[in-house]
Amino acid sequence: MATTKIDERKRWDTLHKNGPFPLKLFLTTKLEKGSSRFSKREKYNDAAQEIQKLIKEAADNHERFRAIGSKWSMSNIAHCKDRMHFNSFMNLKFSIFEGELHEDSNYNHNNLFWFQCGNQIKEISRHLEQRGKSLKTSGASNGQTIAGCISTGVHGSTIDVGSVQDYVVGLNLITGPNPEDNIYIERKSKPALNDTYLKSYKTRIIRDDDIFNAALVGLGSMGFIHGVVIETEDLYLLHRYVKKIDKQEALQLADTLDFNNYDPKIPQADFKGLRPFHYKIFMNPYNTDEKEYAVEFIYKIKYYENYKADFGNPIPFQKEFVYLDLIYLFIKIAEKLPKAIPKLINLLKTSILPKEEKTTVGKLSEIFWDAGYQGKAFACSFGVDHTNSSKALEVLAKLTREHPVPGIFAMRFIKQSEATMAFSKFPFTCMIEIDGIQWNDQENIISLKNYCTKMIEALKNNNIPFTIHWGKNADWSFPDLVNHMFGDNVKKWKKVRNSLLSMPMQDVFSSPFLDTTKLSDPLPINEDLIV
Amino acid sequence: MPFLIRTIIWCSLILIMNSCYSIRFQVENGQWEPADTEKEDAYAGYNVYELDTIVTRKLTTGEHYFNISNCPSGALHTVEYRSTFGGILLNAITFGRKKKVSIKYVCIKENSL
Repeated sequence: MATTKIDERKRWDTLHKNGPFPLKLFLTTKLEKGSSRFSKREKYNDAAQEIQKLIKEAADNHERFRAIGSKWSMSNIAHCKDRMHFNSFMNLKFSIFEGELHEDSNYNHNNLFWFQCGNQIKEISRHLEQRGKSLKTSGASNGQTIAGCISTGVHGSTIDVGSVQDYVVGLNLITGPNPEDNIYIERKSKPALNDTYLKSYKTRIIRDDDIFNAALVGLGSMGFIHGVVIETEDLYLLHRYVKKIDKQEALQLADTLDFNNYDPKIPQADFKGLRPFHYKIFMNPYNTDEKEYAVEFIYKIKYYENYKADFGNPIPFQKEFVYLDLIYLFIKIAEKLPKAIPKLINLLKTSILPKEEKTTVGKLSEIFWDAGYQGKAFACSFGVDHTNSSKALEVLAKLTREHPVPGIFAMRFIKQSEATMAFSKFPFTCMIEIDGIQWNDQENIISLKNYCTKMIEALKNNNIPFTIHWGKNADWSFPDLVNHMFGDNVKKWKKVRNSLLSMPMQDVFSSPFLDTTKLSDPLPINEDLIV
Repeated sequence: MPFLIRTIIWCSLILIMNSCYSIRFQVENGQWEPADTEKEDAYAGYNVYELDTIVTRKLTTGEHYFNISNCPSGALHTVEYRSTFGGILLNAITFGRKKKVSIKYVCIKENSL
């Protein structure tokens, strides 16, 4: 039997110490032991029963229940004060066989995998690579759980792929303690798995595009995500090169995403006219004299077995590089400067981002490898239509020069998501992010909350439509923020939440984050009928 | 004056005895066993086991090694070995009979192989 250890706690914090937040109980579920007589499927179903038991206990005590994975989010989206459930040890993996596909499915069964919620990106990649497959994209690193990724919209900068949730084809949610609350959802327009197979998971099947799209980025509030079916692809290699290019050129590419006539001039490679797999701009907002931006170009190339003989092992290189995730770059710059935050900011005005200019080639899991920094950090991330990239960057950078904080900017680009509440809602979304180290209020610097408020105001005042990354720092209490960002999609999302979760369960799966953003407010009955 | 010299000698000895270095070995492609902790160092998010002991070799002991029995996956992700001057000295003056062992290790996550 799956077992759950329950620890009494006073507080809980995110990986990057954006709390602490108050907490009563911390629950950790472990699967039936590997040496038991249970099959993998039986272990999975046994774990589902355990989760339903825990949900019932929370409901019976009128307490909230929230699943967490690797706690990489910097907002309080993962937090609830009553019962937090650490699901990282729930990491079973299932291949999908031909006879398990839906009769109308267009998927190749070899590309489909069912992962239990606690599987982390790194172990998923390893599992897939052993079978000649790869994820289509990931975040800048690999520690998040798959359920955490899709709940908050984790993304990289894969222009023509999208975010992690965009290759999910099926979801197994547990929305309450009753047998009918164990549900499997997939799109009616793109069915993946057949009923006979799904019945072996004892799930109630829902095939509906609207429900699936709403549940996809569920913010941890559409029930407990027990399993995720994803579509993968054949192994490929990524060719990575970071170079400095003219500022205007970098921004024009951002605004147009038109690489038809662009030659990145990467040594020993010809990528002229090709749109990169990944395009990322790094920018120090304080040094306005710098004529160039550091830009990361990553191109997708065909996989071949002995690539390390040609390019070396990419991982030792990665450990030496500075242009990995944005916070890591900032830490590498900041460690050479004074620790006092005002002095550090002052010196950023004359700091030049370092050069890198070395080719690396590796699998997705090798290019987006382990995170180099796990200490205190903040990160704010806004999504804008890519055509507004340079305008929005200038607005936010100007604001940052007026109200300096210890951080630097990057821009990443992602294809539109079908998820109802995805922040990648524009045809191509440019995510403008500022990452840096935390400061305290005694340092005569604007508070993070006020800085976040001003960022929202600046974009609104300049009529730039925007979204905000659910897992990053923001003034989430800004009046009518979520409606401003998502409009009618908020009602669609709430309507689906109403249909999937009973009222008591809506409260069990609510959280302070949902309360702050008003997403836990139920949809008025008359509006429920209209949407 | 003799007191001052004695103090300096003792302080130097303590400093030398504690002077140490550590080496960390980590697999590139394995999934570490996670933990919800408030660590801020390189082990943040890792379930770290620490072993700090002195091993005495007995006459009947041949090539000695440790059994690590608390990795459910049966595999190690990280091993950090710390060497101290005191440990080297202890090994030398006991003719290899006593060894100071100071390691940290992280297991591979179960079901991830």
